[in-house]
Amino acid sequence: MGVRSIVATTAGRAVRAILHGLMHRAGSQLPGRMALAIDPQVVAHLRHKARAGSVVVCGTNGKTTTTNVIAAALEAAGLRVLCNRDGANMLPGVASALLPSHTADWAIIEADELSCIHILPQLRPTYLVLLNLFRDQLDRSGEIDHVQDVIVQALAASPTTTLLVCGDDPLCMGVAERAQMTGTTVLAFGIDEDLGLPGDRVPEARFCQRCGTELSYAYRSYAQLGAFRCPSCGFARPELDYRATNVQLGQAGVAFDLACDDTGTLRVNVSDGGVYLVYNLLAATALALRAGVEPATFQQALDGYDPGNGRLQHLVVDGRPVVLNLAKNPTGLNQNISLMLADDRLKAVHIIINDEANDGHDVSWLWDVDFERLAGRPDVCIVTAGGLRANDLQVRLKYAGITAQIAAQVSDALTRADALPAEDPLYVLTNYSALWPTKAELEQRSR
Amino acid sequence: MGNGRELQILHLYPELLNLYGDSGNILVLRKRLEWRHLGCTVHEVHMGERASLTGIDLVFIGGGSDREQRIVCDELQRQRSELAAFVEDGGVLLAVCGGYQLLGHSYLMGNEEVRGLSLVDLYTDRGSPRLIGNVMVESRIAPQPIVGYENHGGRTHLGARVEPLGRVLFGNGNDGKSGQEGCLYRNVVGTYVHGPLLPKNPGMADWLLSRALERRGDTGELEPLDDTEELAANETMRKRLL
Repeated sequence: MGVRSIVATTAGRAVRAILHGLMHRAGSQLPGRMALAIDPQVVAHLRHKARAGSVVVCGTNGKTTTTNVIAAALEAAGLRVLCNRDGANMLPGVASALLPSHTADWAIIEADELSCIHILPQLRPTYLVLLNLFRDQLDRSGEIDHVQDVIVQALAASPTTTLLVCGDDPLCMGVAERAQMTGTTVLAFGIDEDLGLPGDRVPEARFCQRCGTELSYAYRSYAQLGAFRCPSCGFARPELDYRATNVQLGQAGVAFDLACDDTGTLRVNVSDGGVYLVYNLLAATALALRAGVEPATFQQALDGYDPGNGRLQHLVVDGRPVVLNLAKNPTGLNQNISLMLADDRLKAVHIIINDEANDGHDVSWLWDVDFERLAGRPDVCIVTAGGLRANDLQVRLKYAGITAQIAAQVSDALTRADALPAEDPLYVLTNYSALWPTKAELEQRSR
Repeated sequence: MGNGRELQILHLYPELLNLYGDSGNILVLRKRLEWRHLGCTVHEVHMGERASLTGIDLVFIGGGSDREQRIVCDELQRQRSELAAFVEDGGVLLAVCGGYQLLGHSYLMGNEEVRGLSLVDLYTDRGSPRLIGNVMVESRIAPQPIVGYENHGGRTHLGARVEPLGRVLFGNGNDGKSGQEGCLYRNVVGTYVHGPLLPKNPGMADWLLSRALERRGDTGELEPLDDTEELAANETMRKRLL
């Protein structure tokens, strides 16, 4: 490490100490930003702190959960981990995560898709996990084609990185095929059976990544993920290196057998979530096994996993169960709708849509969500709309056949939910910028 | 096809031209007819199919990514004369974003000039930067300002005899300079206000429906609806942008 990186690291650590010690703030970006200002290559110099290697997790949905589960599993196995647990997933957040003075065995890093191009050349991770690609924040990220190009370039700049990719997602496989051509090693995971789920909307990737022919599916698990095949050119789901079978989905959570050639079969289960979580856990399990975590240790870590980070977080407010979840794009909301409909209790639903910079200013995507599935359901008793774009959401719901009142505050939504017996839940779904204030308010009221 | 006041709506290539929830416009047109007990049938045209305009009252073209828009453009080129006849006969056509660019003589994809459908005397070149953000337009076809979102690299230039859809009150519109947004030619509306623009602009939706009914020899009069939520959403954005 050169003088410049030493100065950068010291300065970053000082900022971190001030934020932590004096201001009691987590400071997920600022220390890294300070270090990068002094040494733009500081991440390249800090990467050796993770002695066994590093993992970068990216994809439109599920990054934070997958990152946190991998980190928890490695720690349960007695390994030391550096991790941007709070989801500060651009280069400054990564630098912050690597700043602590102790070394570690692994760095487990969540990365924004477009930031991969800055993170990978410096960090040179052992693995890049690519979970899925959905349409999200077009005004900020551009079209999916662009996101794919960026990830391919990032992998080309980090030739020793192995790509662990969702083989069920044609968009991720489009990236994998191109990366493979420039020498990237690719491992694929996926669900190796027909779950018999009712098909939801496929907003993208209906057409072959190579030749443009409409893809055909033996089965789909959700959105564009499934056993796809192009009838004309042979672009298809690859042989899976990590396969989920005997998948169980329901109110009891999700469970599946993970089969791979190295370790045989193991059962993974968690008491929450829907089909999307099978994919996140498949990726996390595969990674943990490759890092040497014993299957039993992984399951123990999962049993004790409760990050309290607003991702499917359960609280009790004034005696009422509240489920808080992030939903920031059509696929995320569609998956949340599936989760709610799998819960047969009466329920109130509060959806918060903001249009701040980190949400995307354009809320057109609300019209790609299948809110129609909530209409006419006797168990969906109360629907309220909140956030800066509550009015847009209310109109969308009206055209879906749902009468929604505006609830400016989450407390208003709780008050309206009082029309239901106390044991019936309130689901609170929010996009990005409203997540933390909503979580804080709910947590305060649940004390 | 189509008797009385039931409208026939043609939705061109919904699977390709739905970048920003464009299908919301079809839902709004359909619901606003249903709520008035008028009814409609939506005919979707998919890749490889030929669009039949016989008996069609209203055509919708959404916006797609560059790649998808190019595929559609090639496909529609073979049906140009039928589309042109529909437009010249007063057929109602709404085209948003990429679909709007297709209406003209040409547009640029990268540095390549792509021949458009020449349904309206306009053409599109490119400029920098990309014009992205909320937009608000005053138009004679809508009682409230049209509010929505735009995201386009193209700069669209109208021929001398083509009226703009309206005047930009906030945002950029056709080229970020002229103060003009969209185009209005016979019963064709083209606009950069992308994706689901009709939900928050119910007056514009009803204008399109009225014109389509009139073309059938109907009075075009529509029973008023309770638009409290739509107008509140429009008003919220109008207040924020002014």
